[in-house]
Amino acid sequence: MTDSQPNSTIRRDDALWLLRRMRLIRQTSERIAKLYPTDVMETPVHLCIGQEAVATGLCHHLRDEDKLFLGHRTHGPALAKGLPLEKLMAELYGRSTGCSHGYGGSMHLLDLEHGLPGSSAIVGGSIALGVGAGLAAELGAGHFVGVSYFGDAATNAGVFYESLNFAALRALPVLFVCEDNGFSNVMPKSEHSAHDIVGVASQMMPTASIDGTDVLAVNDAAGRAVSRARGGQGPQFLHCRTKRWMKHQGPERCDLIEVDIERDCPIHKLERFMASSGMVTPRELADLRSAIESEIDAAIEFAERSPRPDPNLMEA
Amino acid sequence: MPWSRFDCDYAAPAGGERELTYCHAVREAIDQAMQLDSRVFAIGLDADDKFGVFGSMSDLSHPERVLGTPISENAMTGVALGAALSGLRPIHVHLRNDFLLVAMDQIVNYVAKWQDMFDRQVQVPLVIRSVIGRGWGCGAQHSQTLHGMFAQIPGLKVITPSTPYDAKGLLAAAIKNDSPVLFFEHRWLYKNTGAVPEEIYTLPIGKAAHLHRGNGLTVVAPSLAAIHALKACENDDLDVDLIDPRTIKPLDLDTILASVRRTGRLLVVDYDFPFAGFAAEVCAAVTEQAFDALVAPPQRLTFPDRGMPAAGPLERSYYPTPERIGEAMRELLAGQPAVTV
Repeated sequence: MTDSQPNSTIRRDDALWLLRRMRLIRQTSERIAKLYPTDVMETPVHLCIGQEAVATGLCHHLRDEDKLFLGHRTHGPALAKGLPLEKLMAELYGRSTGCSHGYGGSMHLLDLEHGLPGSSAIVGGSIALGVGAGLAAELGAGHFVGVSYFGDAATNAGVFYESLNFAALRALPVLFVCEDNGFSNVMPKSEHSAHDIVGVASQMMPTASIDGTDVLAVNDAAGRAVSRARGGQGPQFLHCRTKRWMKHQGPERCDLIEVDIERDCPIHKLERFMASSGMVTPRELADLRSAIESEIDAAIEFAERSPRPDPNLMEA
Repeated sequence: MPWSRFDCDYAAPAGGERELTYCHAVREAIDQAMQLDSRVFAIGLDADDKFGVFGSMSDLSHPERVLGTPISENAMTGVALGAALSGLRPIHVHLRNDFLLVAMDQIVNYVAKWQDMFDRQVQVPLVIRSVIGRGWGCGAQHSQTLHGMFAQIPGLKVITPSTPYDAKGLLAAAIKNDSPVLFFEHRWLYKNTGAVPEEIYTLPIGKAAHLHRGNGLTVVAPSLAAIHALKACENDDLDVDLIDPRTIKPLDLDTILASVRRTGRLLVVDYDFPFAGFAAEVCAAVTEQAFDALVAPPQRLTFPDRGMPAAGPLERSYYPTPERIGEAMRELLAGQPAVTV
């Protein structure tokens, strides 16, 4: 278990990649929150504002062939892995051009080209699927790692223990990523978990616990963990402490959680670091923000223009 | 694809061919599929033990692809699904179908839904095979037969072979299939023998078989019930059209309806619970679609609506037998004759 320090030697290209993906997730989530009350999206939304660094730092090290299995809070990690924004938007709008053709909704996203074999809305279960991907790689299906991505509340489900146990017994190329936002809906971790997540995981595999609001720290730790899993050193566990600024579901802020931008905002922290080390100018940051806004405008336009799925084509 | 090399529909052998037990027919299907396709692997509790799943996993020619697991059925089902989504063709094996209930989240919420949820953009070539039925005083948690409950879930195919020939051909078809299949083998069929071709072959999923021909009464019976019903027909030389659906889902309703239109009478013998089960489904479908042909109300012969007992006298009262099936058949046959046009 390590508490790694941000890598101040990160290259500008890498830092820009991280910033761009985090901004894409943040601004998309903010736009969803803004549009949601108009009912254009007939599907629940589980936003991840404040948690962008975890998926972004992780996915920086994943390849398209690596298989990422997600839970219900899925928009951000899916975008981080490479799901095209217009396919996400079209799915939220319930259109046939959505990544699941309108059959999935916001919690069931798929992008086989970018290593997203599907996401699930039952907390915990998808942890096992990432282990299955690792087992497939071990049995010769290809050169990839399986990644199980879940929250702190999922560690209370039996499938969490069962999955870690099996992955460790067989030394599978699997990465477990726990996005610990400290809440199970409205129940704080102190009330939902008697166990210590890192303590349980580290009994079975190498485990790193990091500040999940610091994308450079996540990027660092994920880089090491992914390369160990890829290199045949068995499963690895990443515990990322983060904050969920919004309610469990819906477009509103969560009043149970205190947010201090200086301390908690992964985007603010990265931009400050990049500006202070001369990687970006304020102008470049502003340009990036507006470029992403245009991208979101285009994705929404695409979704609005797209046809709704035809019920007559729905086969039994 | 290696599978195209044997994709043929064999007619049931007439006899004089190689005899194999039901258990060894299952084993041979797995072994030949693993030889044919390196993506096929087996996983499950005691799968790698020579006595695993009542001996059906013994001496497989690719032991490196036969994996024993901890008692973690729920996660292991998810592991099998994850492997199926990552390019392999898993066979998840279970000693008893009662253990599948530990994995209901994965089977119902994940395995069954994964294709529909993404508009069938993904393939889920996953077989879950499990032994069903009673043992010897095994009681309520080790004697169930739950094909009806699983068949109710969209996204699952449910296969219940009754003969060694069907067991081998349908299991090969299940492994070849790109959607999830539950494959239920009755424990009391394991030692039955029958003619089984040596080469690998598939049988169509969703096609019933006639085990006995007649015109007075249609009897639909899957798995062990089919063999017991056949015995009842032969014991008393009854004028019964006996249909083994072979697959519970998809169900070959056409064959059943054509028979009922001829006989006017229906008895469903199902070794499963009665309420909202397979027998109820067949009766409902026949009533909906062939009401005019019926000359008597469709009847069901199933387990009682309670958990299984253990002591000998209680077991003998609880479970249907060939004798009780014969009685039910004779009662229906003695009723008003079908009006023939």
